[in-house]
Amino acid sequence: MNKFLRTLIPTDIAKGLSVTGKHFGQVFFTANRRKVPFHIVGEYPEVPAKVQPRYRGRLTLLKDEQGEIKCVCCLACEKICPTQVITIEKGKMEGRKMPFPVRYDFEMERCIFCEFCVESCGFDSIILNHQFELAAYNREDFSLGTKGTAQNMFELSPVGKYSVAED
Amino acid sequence: MFKNEEMEINLGPQHPSTHGVLRVKLRLDGETVTHCRPMIGYLHRGVEKICENQSFFQGQVWTDRMDYCSAVANNLGWAEANEKLLGITVPRRAQYIRTLLNEFNRIASHLIWLGTHAMDIGALTVFLYAFREREDVLDINEAFCGSRLTTTAFRIGGLREDLPPGFEKMVRKFLAKFSDCLDEYEALLTENRIWKKRTIGVAKLSAEDAIALGVTGPMLRAAGVAYDIRKAFPYAAYAEMDFEVPTRTEADTYARYEVRMAEMRQSARIIQQCMDGMPEGPVMAKLPKILRSEVNEVYHATESPKGEIGYYLVGEKGSLNPYRFHVRAPGFINLQSLPKMAEGGLIADVVAAIGSLDIVLGEIDR
Ligand code: SF4
Ligand code: SF4
Repeated sequence: MNKFLRTLIPTDIAKGLSVTGKHFGQVFFTANRRKVPFHIVGEYPEVPAKVQPRYRGRLTLLKDEQGEIKCVCCLACEKICPTQVITIEKGKMEGRKMPFPVRYDFEMERCIFCEFCVESCGFDSIILNHQFELAAYNREDFSLGTKGTAQNMFELSPVGKYSVAED
Repeated sequence: MFKNEEMEINLGPQHPSTHGVLRVKLRLDGETVTHCRPMIGYLHRGVEKICENQSFFQGQVWTDRMDYCSAVANNLGWAEANEKLLGITVPRRAQYIRTLLNEFNRIASHLIWLGTHAMDIGALTVFLYAFREREDVLDINEAFCGSRLTTTAFRIGGLREDLPPGFEKMVRKFLAKFSDCLDEYEALLTENRIWKKRTIGVAKLSAEDAIALGVTGPMLRAAGVAYDIRKAFPYAAYAEMDFEVPTRTEADTYARYEVRMAEMRQSARIIQQCMDGMPEGPVMAKLPKILRSEVNEVYHATESPKGEIGYYLVGEKGSLNPYRFHVRAPGFINLQSLPKMAEGGLIADVVAAIGSLDIVLGEIDR
């Protein structure tokens, strides 16, 4: 009898539905309850998505305690970049012994977020931050530099306000 | 009154079941395929040539973008081929971590295959469940190297960083539930009559044909040939691992499904062993400041989820970048067997054949 039952297609359908039904039931009866271990979806735009500490986002220039750019223009990052998206122009600033980047251009549209630049920098003057929403409407918005207010490399990108939790 | 004419049609390049931009030229007699030729090249970027113009260190980012479903396995092959060329020995802890991540990558790649292949044939539910587990693997990738898909996970000479804190907990959590998840997929498919009807005896490829065409990976093992580079020519830490090479003899789509499911269980076993026997020590070898090649020529093959991926590098002694770089992409060579499998069958079975090949066009066209 059992053997006969297993030759019927409805048996297969019932078996498949039992797996689906189990999961549906689990989620249905615990909906709206936070911290249930098998809930795997998040409420993304309302609640910022969490990324791992090592996440590779957009390139950011760092400043030291005096508020000066840490970069000393050794050009290691420019050389190692596989897509050649960093352009640095060396210059002098008064009251500073080390060279100072007059221009530090970063073309984000061609960056592949490999973190080779951060790895090669011996002065810890750049990092990749945790932003992943980097889309923009205009092509110019992808060219970041040290100057300008909206598009510079010290602050977070204005578009990606959902990728970083404010706390 | 009735004309008997053959009809020529194109399957792809934008057909959802050709897994990317593969175009298959089919000649049909009614519903029977009499002639089948895969047309490739829509995703060609010239990865080999680009790598020839970049330093050994930089080349790795292009290997991510060949087979984007198994980026870690590609990184491993690239790193090991370069280490051979440059004469570097990798510390043991780094070898273990590489093995661990490589096996996670195998699971992720097979899960993609399972989801998309089942969806092509008509079982939609498995897709959602398979991607749920794949998400956990991608999170592990992200925790280790900061990126989910294009990992750039390894460096020539070892690893960039050690395992992050909390990594072991993530891995153990995944391992604890993964076997149950595999049981769930099998409950949905293995005994399902529709699935069996669609796969058993479909797209056969005998062992002789497979060997003659150079087919490797699960395709070959489903034909009964127990050839796995992890066992035959152990690399990374595979010599110290205890695992089996699953084989089947039926050589049809169902056998390939069974082989890949069994492989995922073996991968989980290897991960368990890596985690338990993880040695202490450094993760990076001492490297010269500028990498220059030591020998002239290297071919290094590793077992990627799709088959044998081989990197052939020619470097003049003392040069900074490879003089010639070639990839033996498993997908490219496995795809050659499509006419053998599809000709004489029904047009609906071409989709099953393409699905069981597990191709990624980024790797075929390079
Ligand atoms: S992350 Fe990679 S591609 Fe982007 S700027 Fe740095 S080195 Fe260049
Ligand atoms: S490697 Fe660091 S210090 Fe050198 S130019 Fe780049 S950012 Fe500046």
